[in-house]
Amino acid sequence: MIEYAVFFFFASIAVIFAFVVILHRNPVVSALSLVASFFALAVMYVLLEAPFLAALQVIVYAGAIMVLFLFVIMLLNLQRQREEPTRPIQQFLGYLGSAAFGIGLVYYIAKYAAMALPVGPFVADARTVGVALFESYIFPFEMVSILLLAAIVGALLLSARGVQWP
Amino acid sequence: MIPTQWFLILSAILFTIGVCGVLTRRNGITIFMSIELMVNAVNLTFLAYARQFHQLHGLIFVFFVMAIAAAEAAVGLAIFISLFHHRETIDVDEANLMRW
Amino acid sequence: MAGIDKVDVALSLLKIVIVVGALLNVTPIMVWVERRGSALIQDRPGPNRVGPFGLFQAIADAVKFFLKEDIVPLGAHKWLYTIAPMFGLVPALTTIAVVPWGRPFVLRGGRVFEPIVADLNVGILLIFALASMSVYGIVTAGWSSNNKYSLFGGIRSSAQMISYELALTLSAISALMVAGSLRLTDVVWKQTGYFVLFNTIKLPSWNVLSPAMWLSFVVFSVAAFAETNRLPFDFAEADAELVAGYHTEYSSMKFALFFMSEYMAMATMAALVVTLFFGGWDIPWYNEPATFGGFLLSAIAFVIKVSILLFIFVWVRWTIPRLKYDILMKVGWKVFLPLAVVNIVLVAWFIAERWI
Repeated sequence: MIEYAVFFFFASIAVIFAFVVILHRNPVVSALSLVASFFALAVMYVLLEAPFLAALQVIVYAGAIMVLFLFVIMLLNLQRQREEPTRPIQQFLGYLGSAAFGIGLVYYIAKYAAMALPVGPFVADARTVGVALFESYIFPFEMVSILLLAAIVGALLLSARGVQWP
Repeated sequence: MIPTQWFLILSAILFTIGVCGVLTRRNGITIFMSIELMVNAVNLTFLAYARQFHQLHGLIFVFFVMAIAAAEAAVGLAIFISLFHHRETIDVDEANLMRW
Repeated sequence: MAGIDKVDVALSLLKIVIVVGALLNVTPIMVWVERRGSALIQDRPGPNRVGPFGLFQAIADAVKFFLKEDIVPLGAHKWLYTIAPMFGLVPALTTIAVVPWGRPFVLRGGRVFEPIVADLNVGILLIFALASMSVYGIVTAGWSSNNKYSLFGGIRSSAQMISYELALTLSAISALMVAGSLRLTDVVWKQTGYFVLFNTIKLPSWNVLSPAMWLSFVVFSVAAFAETNRLPFDFAEADAELVAGYHTEYSSMKFALFFMSEYMAMATMAALVVTLFFGGWDIPWYNEPATFGGFLLSAIAFVIKVSILLFIFVWVRWTIPRLKYDILMKVGWKVFLPLAVVNIVLVAWFIAERWI
């Protein structure tokens, strides 16, 4: 009973703040609404019995990536720019296309994707995830660390002013 | 316990909102944020199925998706900064050098 | 779902009331300690007019906060300006939920009373997650005030906070490795044992007393100072440089909320240091029995340890000068982060050799 209430409350928060993200004209408010949406999604992850990933979602997404977004918005002083309204034809086609896509997706999921509830506990805490990461998925784990290094170097080079390319 | 289907429907709704944002906004950073919204909707789908079939692979995949999305956000924002240094605007309609 | 156990709910509410009440009372006590302690260090009397030893000064301050005019600057983003203090307050109030503050004891009727509001499996990750949310309070406050000093203070301080978050997390991992679990109750239970040296001396097995953890203790304490924006890392406020940093334009209750959230975050960080390194509620050389008396003694021991640590926070603030900003960032990334990583390897080696 309480689970359903929590689910509906946080699902509506996620959806409402997602709408604010795409509709508000000020990028700072969009970014903060996205943070709220991520927080609501983290609660969804807890409902899906993955508390470790819920904590990771808040730490990585809401706590680091969105701070990066906010820094870039404030660094470039983007809130002062008036964003020109999108051309009407693009707006119309965009809303129409995405609405059609969304309605079709939700309809077919509701019709065909009914599944029985899983039985038994699902142990997804830090220990089991850690064991799986370091045993079965050790190669992607190491490759992701190299990928992050490449991303750091790339980001530094791309955003530096006055870099003399040889 | 909440049926998995409800999580899939929520994920579909969030994904659609992300698609709408990508298609109808001109500000590059907002488009990027809509892309992050789409990625999170997909994460939710992975976790819903991971719980449904009691498999850890879904969680590990979400873990890697988060790490890669972080790298992508960093590099994408660096590209936007570089674009801003050249053009003084983040409007994606102004980045039209390759238009024929 | 089975029926809700009313006694469980009542006990949880009682725990929440105790913890939140204690945390809300930290601010007036810390204000007094700060002002008299700083006066002691600087060889001056400090506030001593309002009540005996100036003890009612905090009440006078609270009354002043209630009665001051609430100004919203022209050009500020009204909505974000108003909710920014809440971004700082919510993490400060909720992170204390996973910290154990006493020994679990058995009530009449066989029920075990665990003095921790939420004994999560991923306990400490909640603290790190909510600590990273507190960055938003500062950034939003700095930006929405429409004031360049606030913006500078906000951005510098949030950059510092996210840099030292890494060192904080990695150095806490070594204490978690020793305990083998992310729950803070397990971390404390592991420290209730004893180290036996040379078959004669019995030391309590607190993490701070084992040599492999000294480095992580230092790194964690420094990162805790940086996370709560206390000197020598207080670029958010920077009294002499940025007017008042990110809370320049805030007055009366909104400023009071920032003020309170800083002291509550300080108390939570001190509680975390005590739990990870100083044995939490463990009384050294005494096995507390699982009764109400044992619980009371362990809770008092916890409060004493946190108080000593809070006094050290105040002491350091008025002793060490502020670091220059670029040196602070350099030290955060180039010194503390590698030290934290090296420490993980060191503790892993100690655990493999069974010296811990």
